[in-house]
Parts: sequence; structure tokens; C-alpha cells
Amino acid sequence: MKAIFNREFNSYFTSMLGYVFLSIFLMLTGFLFYLMNIKALNSSMKYMFGILINWALFLLPLLTMRLFTEDRRMKTDQLLLTAPITIKDIVFGKFFAAFGVFLTGMLITLIFPVILSFLGSLPVAETISCYVGFILLCSVILAVGAFMSSITENQIIAAVATYGVLVLMLLMGSMSTYIGNEFIVKVMLWLSPIQRFNDFTLGILNIESIVYYLSLAGLFLFFTVMSFERRRLR
Amino acid sequence: MITVSHLTKRYGDKYALNDVNFDVKKGEILGFLGPNGAGKSTTMNIITGYISYTEGEVKVDGYDIMDNPMEVKKRIGYLPEIPPLYLDMTVWDYLEFVFALKNVKTTDMKEHLQSVIDTVKIDGVKNRKISNLSKGYRQRVGFAGALIGDPDILILDEPTVGLDPKQIIEIRNAIKELGKKKTIIFSSHILSEISSVCDRVIIINKGKIVAEDTPQNLSAKIGDAQRMMIRVSGDKEQAESILESFDSVSNVTCVSSLGDTFDFEFDTKMSNEDKKELFFAFAQNSIPILLQQETEVSLEEIFLKLTSAKEANYESDIQ
Repeated sequence: MKAIFNREFNSYFTSMLGYVFLSIFLMLTGFLFYLMNIKALNSSMKYMFGILINWALFLLPLLTMRLFTEDRRMKTDQLLLTAPITIKDIVFGKFFAAFGVFLTGMLITLIFPVILSFLGSLPVAETISCYVGFILLCSVILAVGAFMSSITENQIIAAVATYGVLVLMLLMGSMSTYIGNEFIVKVMLWLSPIQRFNDFTLGILNIESIVYYLSLAGLFLFFTVMSFERRRLR
Repeated sequence: MITVSHLTKRYGDKYALNDVNFDVKKGEILGFLGPNGAGKSTTMNIITGYISYTEGEVKVDGYDIMDNPMEVKKRIGYLPEIPPLYLDMTVWDYLEFVFALKNVKTTDMKEHLQSVIDTVKIDGVKNRKISNLSKGYRQRVGFAGALIGDPDILILDEPTVGLDPKQIIEIRNAIKELGKKKTIIFSSHILSEISSVCDRVIIINKGKIVAEDTPQNLSAKIGDAQRMMIRVSGDKEQAESILESFDSVSNVTCVSSLGDTFDFEFDTKMSNEDKKELFFAFAQNSIPILLQQETEVSLEEIFLKLTSAKEANYESDIQ
């Protein structure tokens, strides 16, 4: 798994993709930070993250779209699948490489709360839970992207299919208000990953939500492993 | 070392492999021969664990590929038909990655990689990006990848395709050299290659094994009659009828002609007496024999006979 992770992580930076992603990500967070915190004289980061989610939905699939498609197209999957490693190693190694690039971006944004703490009083608990929640939510997005990339040979199809699933997730929260049945509304809100993020913006580290995000990401990674197995058994 | 029994691979109702049985002994070089789509790559992909099979059993060094894939994969170095290279890496980085991927238990990585690089002669390009390398070098980098970790078994799928003649000879010699210590399965379109390198040949067609023997035995078995070629100058029909008047001559074909010179080939088991008679028969009809030589039945012909001329497409056999 370490070998796969290292290669994949480095490949983000030997190709332009890693730099392009980080540039856009930092430009965006920087702009939102200026708008929501500095300009608005506000020390709470939850507004910034509230908007950033919508952007993350479109930005993160860029990291995952070529994760497995490229291997299939270049036949390098033949090297990986005939090496003495498990499919789980391959999937996790690649997922964590994409996750690592994203985390690198998040790490740089840590400068924002530091600036805020100098300029005013930083709501520490809320900031931490915002960060944790956002990272967990993004791990779900990346896992969805990884799965979509494992079922097709084409990067564009992988990215578009990921957007499809993510838009569905996004709409789940807003659609629920138009549904009469109270029970269905409850279920939909409970299931919506975006809706769940609201807990975190309130400064609550809800165990249930953390478990929910982790298992959702785990589920999609499991699907990814399954899609590999299925292709092999075909 | 490798035992394949009753191996069947089905896609829907189409058989890619149908009840294939063979085994490879330790230290043997086995050649895999067959037209495109015969099932060579499929067999290799199954032995290396890349794809699964429908029925049968594959055992490598006593380990079943389904039950113990890790043990099997550890023992095999595989060079697929299209070398699995990451074009964005340098040769050295790529080999380092393969080294880590295979989890090789060698203390000195650098020394090991260098020895592999020297075996396939890519020292001059080791710091170059793979995307900038020519087909021949890419093939050799893929070969180097298969050699990393010093596996006991090498499976090479058409390792010489796309190389120039000098590179082909180099790779072929490398395979021969490696064959002294390792068990090797390799497939090829080039039949002379198989006969010069392999201890044993398996000819496969439409997912079935059609012949299995040493290259020499195959020639002997199928071409039990010897073949002779003569070049004569004169009337074609007349020459042909003289040849056919001999009982020991069969399968007369005119292989080429130039003006009034014709080359005939035929199967024969002529004694020297017969040859004398043949000479005088032509002399009496004043058709001079310009050239006469015995030719061995080549693997090409065996191959065609076994797989039937229609299906074998091996137009690029320029060896």
C-alpha cells in the first residue's frame, strides 16, 4: 500500500494536476476567507466552510477522475494486479494519495485560524469541528470519485458520474422540504451527507455523524474493491 | 513447477480456452505458439492471477492461484503483451516502484536494480522519462520490471514484438541465459525464435492445445517425409509430369518461377538410386537441373498444417 501511495501521490506533482488543484483550492479558500472573515469582521469560519462545500463538490472529483481509469487505459493495472499485493492495498493506496493531496491543501489553510486568533477571539471548538466535518465530508466525496473512476475507462465519464452522485447528495437535503411525508423527510435528511455537515458548523462533534461519514466513505471504497473483483471474475 | 489442468475460460457462451492441460517443469523454457486470439495471452493472464477462469485448476510451485494468490504472485515475473509502464516516471523511479510493489526482501536495492538494468541493457536511459523512450526500450524496461525480485518463474508475452533485429537477438540471448536458472513460459509469433530458444513447444489454436512437443520432434512427427527443392530450366508442365511419374514423390508444388526456370518443392524419401533416375529422367527430356537441395519441414509449415492456413495470420514472420 505504501508503494502505491507514494507513486500516486508523487504522480499528482509530476503531472500538473496536483499543482492545478492546490492553486484553485487555495485561491478559492483565500477568497472566501477574505470575504467571510476579514471583510465581514467575523471570526467564525463556519460561513466560509458552508460555501466551500459547494465548491468542493466540483473541485474534488478532479483529483479522483484519473485514479483508476488511467491504469486501465495504460494497462498498468496488469502490473498492480499481478504483484503480490491485495486489491485492498491498491484501492486504499490510491484513495489515500488523493486524500493526501486534499489534506495538503487543508493544511495550508490552517493559516486562516491562526490569523483570526491574532485579530480577534477564535471560537476554537467550532473551528476544530468545522475542519473535522469538512475533511470527513470530503473523504466521502473522494471515495465516491474513486468508485466512479474504477468502473469506467474514461476520465471524463468518471468525473461526470461522480458529479451525478454528488448532485443527488446535494439535492437530498433541499428536495426533502417539498415532500409531504414527514417520515421520508426525516430519512432523507438523516441520509444527506451535506445536511449532516450542519452539526459540525455548530461546534458539535457528533459521534453518530463521524461514524456515518466514515462508513459512507468505507462503503464506496468497498464498492471500488468489488468492482475490481468483478472485472477480474468476468 | 506450473501445472495447468482442465483450464477453461468462457466469456458468455464463447470459449476463450477450452480444457487446456499442460505442465512446465522446473528450469524448462516453454514456447507458446498460436495465431492471434488463440488464447495465449488469456492463459498467461490466468496463470499470473490477472483474470480468473471458469473451470479447472492452476498450480504454481504447489500453490493454487485461487487459494494462495500471494504465494503464486511472489514467484512469478510477468511481462504482459503491452508493457505496464507509468509513462510519467523515469526508468529508475519505475523500477524502484516495482521493487517496492513486489516487496522484495533484498538488502541492497540499488545493487539489485543495477544488475537488472545491466541484464536488459538499459543503463544508458535509466534517468530518462519512460514517455520519451522508443518502443524497443519500453519493452526492455517492462522486461526489467518482470526480472525485479529475481522470481523463479518468468512469463513473457511476446517479448520481442516491435523490436529491431539486433534487439531481438539481445532479448533472445537474455532469455536463453535466464533459462539456465529459471522456469520460463514465453509466447511468440516468430516460429524460428521458439525453435531456437525453447525446450518444448505448445501450439494453441481457438483455445485448444493442438500440439505439444520438442521443436525437433514436431518437425519429425509432422514432416516425416523429407522435402526437396529442385530448380529446372525448361517446360513447366513437362517437368511436373516427370516429377509426378516417380512413386516416391508427392505434393509437388511450383514455388517460384523466373522466365523458363521453375522451382519445385515436393515431399520425398528418395534413395540415391532414385535420385540418379530423377537426374537421367530430366536429362533425357533435356531439362537441365540447375539446383537441387533438401529442405527441412519448417515450424511454419507445421504451424500452418495444425492451425489450418485460413486462420493463421502470421504475415510478419521475417526471420
